[in-house]
Amino acid sequence: MKTLNLIALLLFVAACVAVMMLDTPTTQAVQSKVMAIFAPFVHASATVENTTTRAISAEIDPKELLRETVALRLKVQKLTILSQRHDELLEENNKLRNMVGYRERSPFKDLIAARVIKRSASTWWNSMIIDKGSADGIAPDRAVLTDVGLVGKTGRVSPHVSEVILLTDELCRVAAVIEGTREKGILSGERGALELTPDLRLRFLSRNAPIAPGTNVISSGDGGVFPSRLLLGRVKLFENKDISGEAVVETAVDFSKLEDVFIVGSSASTP
Amino acid sequence: MLFNVSIIALMCITFFLEEFVPAVEIAQNARLFLAPVFFFCAAVAVPFPTMLLLAFMTGFMWDARYAQIMSEDSAMEQLAQVSGVSGYAGFSQGLSGGDLGFGHSIILFGVLGCLMQGIRPLFKKGRWELPVFMVGFVTIVWLLVQFIVITFLRGNFFFPQEVWLKMVSDTLMAMLASPLIYLVLHTLARATNYEIKYEGLRYRFDGS
Repeated sequence: MKTLNLIALLLFVAACVAVMMLDTPTTQAVQSKVMAIFAPFVHASATVENTTTRAISAEIDPKELLRETVALRLKVQKLTILSQRHDELLEENNKLRNMVGYRERSPFKDLIAARVIKRSASTWWNSMIIDKGSADGIAPDRAVLTDVGLVGKTGRVSPHVSEVILLTDELCRVAAVIEGTREKGILSGERGALELTPDLRLRFLSRNAPIAPGTNVISSGDGGVFPSRLLLGRVKLFENKDISGEAVVETAVDFSKLEDVFIVGSSASTP
Repeated sequence: MLFNVSIIALMCITFFLEEFVPAVEIAQNARLFLAPVFFFCAAVAVPFPTMLLLAFMTGFMWDARYAQIMSEDSAMEQLAQVSGVSGYAGFSQGLSGGDLGFGHSIILFGVLGCLMQGIRPLFKKGRWELPVFMVGFVTIVWLLVQFIVITFLRGNFFFPQEVWLKMVSDTLMAMLASPLIYLVLHTLARATNYEIKYEGLRYRFDGS
């Protein structure tokens, strides 16, 4: 081996060791800085993705369009467009009213509203990116929820965007309790569950626990990261394993239609 | 020299372009991992020291952008205090860690880059078949090693069909993209008067 190659190899190994010796706060600081650099590109790519999706999803049959163009008069077209716009505004208005209502009803008085920008492009992790960051008061490990239930928790945070580790990721584990019972377990996603709305697994329940399908699964608040009594999902199936029981849980939140979420501003407290 | 600098600059650009690559929903959200695939292609075209520099850059940036590093006082540790969960003792180890650390990708890219270096003579001759196949091979090895390490650290071996579907789809997309990247590299090499030479194993006569 040439001397130069050997020196390069030694330098490479030394650099690897140095990077792997970095402590968690340092690596998180590095990740936050990198995310801040990438933030404009994340925003730009989200805009491109949304525009493209809208363009592709507009299913326009040219013949149909031609027939309509011939059949309809200009005035009717204008009225149709106005009517569509009215419906869109009405829908948006209702959605915002629901959000405001939830915010007022919610026991958490410091909720930060955020818009989902896009899904993250990582290899094996289920995460998404929201348009709020540390400048808006978001910190890592904060619960992320909607008016329906828990979505996940914040991961790395940069000043203007943050990553949310979804409840469907195996890394996001929540201490959960089955409503109406004293059965406690740990809820998490499954490895390799890469579709948009995979089922979750509630592990470490008692064997032969009397759990009926359809029962709500809520957060217990143990651990302090996630507030208690947040809806996580509903039991689909209960199975007895070797030493404990396990339930398959259908998520309460539809992860394929997530647009707006709330982040609990200060660290979680039991409502 | 100019070629190497251009490759390093292009490597950085691919990370930004990576954000614009869409996922294929029907194939378990498979996508073209542009930056790693560019690295695998470039590893054939550059000398060994530059390949190591590229591996370091790619691995560092990849982990900085995508690796999930959990803080020690996060849910994992706090859940370790949860009481009343049956069968918890055996699970506590999995809760306190169980994921790839920052920097693992650097080593992985370094090793895979070394594999790609072995086919430099073919690339020099303008033969792209094996390099394209090798890009697919190292891509699937990269994904597989990541998944195996995650699986090993989290305590149970679990390989659903979806994982294979995603890995194969990612690999096929990498193989589809690699000829274009090789074309860019060849064009760049011509433009900068760079000659791709194999400088690995060589027979040396010691005179005795």
